[in-house]
Amino acid sequence: MKNTIYTMGVDVGGSYVKAVLMEYNQLTGDHKLVDKQTEKIRKRNPKDVVVDAVDMILGRNNLTYDKDIAYLASTGEGEMVEKKTGHFYSMTSHARGGIYFAPNAKTVVDMGGLYVRAIKVDERGKVIDYKMTGQCASGSGQFIENISRYLGLAIEEVGEISLKADNPEVPSGICAVLAETDVINLVSKGLSTPNIVKGINISIAQRVVKLLGSLNAESPIALVGGMGMNVGMLQAIEEQAMENKKKAFEFVSHPDAIYSGAIGAALWGGFRYYKLKEKEAAVVA
Amino acid sequence: MKELKQIINECKVLSFDLNFTRAKQWKEEKPGRVIVGYMPIYFPREVIHAAGGMAVGMFGGGDRKQIIKGDAYYQSYICHIPRSVMELALDKQMDHFDGFIFPSICDVIRNLSGIFKQHKFGKFVKYMDFPQNFLPQIGGVFYQQEMEHVMHYIKEINGVEVTPEKLNNSIALYNKNRKLISEIYDIRQDYPWRLTMEDVYHIVRAGTVIPVEEHNEILEQVLVHIRQNIGSPQDKVKVVVSGAFCEQPAVGLIKAIEEAGCYVVDDDYMLGSRMILGDIDATSNKPLEAISNAYIKQSQYSSSIYDVSNPKEYRLAKIVENRGANGVIFASASFCDPSLLDAPIFQNAFNRLGIRYIAFQFSENINQFKVIKEQVGAFSDSIKLWENEPAVINKA
Repeated sequence: MKNTIYTMGVDVGGSYVKAVLMEYNQLTGDHKLVDKQTEKIRKRNPKDVVVDAVDMILGRNNLTYDKDIAYLASTGEGEMVEKKTGHFYSMTSHARGGIYFAPNAKTVVDMGGLYVRAIKVDERGKVIDYKMTGQCASGSGQFIENISRYLGLAIEEVGEISLKADNPEVPSGICAVLAETDVINLVSKGLSTPNIVKGINISIAQRVVKLLGSLNAESPIALVGGMGMNVGMLQAIEEQAMENKKKAFEFVSHPDAIYSGAIGAALWGGFRYYKLKEKEAAVVA
Repeated sequence: MKELKQIINECKVLSFDLNFTRAKQWKEEKPGRVIVGYMPIYFPREVIHAAGGMAVGMFGGGDRKQIIKGDAYYQSYICHIPRSVMELALDKQMDHFDGFIFPSICDVIRNLSGIFKQHKFGKFVKYMDFPQNFLPQIGGVFYQQEMEHVMHYIKEINGVEVTPEKLNNSIALYNKNRKLISEIYDIRQDYPWRLTMEDVYHIVRAGTVIPVEEHNEILEQVLVHIRQNIGSPQDKVKVVVSGAFCEQPAVGLIKAIEEAGCYVVDDDYMLGSRMILGDIDATSNKPLEAISNAYIKQSQYSSSIYDVSNPKEYRLAKIVENRGANGVIFASASFCDPSLLDAPIFQNAFNRLGIRYIAFQFSENINQFKVIKEQVGAFSDSIKLWENEPAVINKA
């Protein structure tokens, strides 16, 4: 049995499809991110977007699905991934992805397009407990994306611009509709873009810190998901945690945080591949 | 022979044809034919067939029927199926039915039979008590008398005298039906990817609204396809779904369970069609006694049967073992007393036996499954990744 295999993870979210190719090393546990691809779904059929993302990665690496990929795992809206070996629930995948980025993490915060979820994990990435925000979109990445569009910003710029704020004003943190109205008012008042963006980040950060408190979270805390890459958000969360003073949290972020679900799924796929092989061998024996 | 996809599509249409078009056509094809609607869980359809009739399942409108009038008949703390059955009746979608049978499931269904009587729906309405005494000379005789009442009602409509020969012929047809359905489940036990649970559901449910002869043909064709090595396996856990024997979950929920990482290898969705295990004697000169004996001695467990000498929790555990399932999903309709009262009995036993399970509730008209999908997904992952570690006991 080979000690190194290729696995793929495909995370289908509300706005984006994230796909990764991993080199999974059973012996050393030193798994490598080989390639990655993000595709915005827009108005396309998500199933087609998935096929495109997977094909792009396979093509770039001269690999074929049938011959070279030991396990392709879906996560998120898994039914959009028709060709796959298995599916993992998004919380399971993000927990493992968080441990990949920060092996000592005791808590993973998945900050995705539709909600924020704080997950307590053990050293293997097993979910121990979790808490998540309610249904309101004002605590989600989709909300940040909408606001950035109103402000004429690219989503990639939002984090850096937030760092330039000197006098932020926090909009409503209860309802996305009210918050969006607040933002329009802030623009009319002439508040600078960095201060508006920072205010929004603070509004979401307050929710995250509250969530961590209710979970009785422990450090280090890995921030993953699309919003986990936002340096402005990281700063806002650190500041809010300091203000909270109940507990000093250590946060860890990563430039590839958006791929945490896909990476986690690919790693669990590798884990399952060897587990199934063991079972097959036991049956034969 | 038809393609599998075509058969499944036809079954999808049949099983949710809330105007029961095929039954209506069948009745119009020949004078003297009668249609008798029956509610879950189980009714011996053989006796209607032998009397020149067709038993048609009334499994509610699911998420395909908006309830406006039906809600006026039931309080908010009552399950959903009686509302949608009332709505179908009040909207005259069952006007071509000659009679209605309400097997003893619970008080709600007993009340529904009373409401049908008050509205004078059909030519007869029968609340049918099933024996809770499992001695053939007591419960068995009582059950035979109940079936004779039904045959009497039909004879009053079409004058057909049921002979042992006719009844044995009907028993043989339904034996074949049960055997074919059973083979589908047996194939899925080992190769669940050949046919999804959603497809199985449509195929079995279609059989409750068309003549048994036609359903047997459909099942035979399906089997020809799934005996072949079709489809690709996925890394999923095998589960048994229990608790949805009366009010049916929306098809989306049935689909969602498999999408979330499970293969459903046994269930009680359309329990009535699989209630009798094995064949009923089709050669007896007392066929009613044969049907009765089969119910008493070889029926599946159910929440409306109180057989203390044969505890249902161990019977479900046996199904889990025989199917090689990794766990159980308890899916109960909201406010379904029989299912929800049984749940703690099952769960206490499964805690002792170390069988993993989760539990949730549904309503036939609810088609948002995000939370259930997350629950099932987490359950599936806990088995796939941590099967050697003790399960966290679900206290829901």
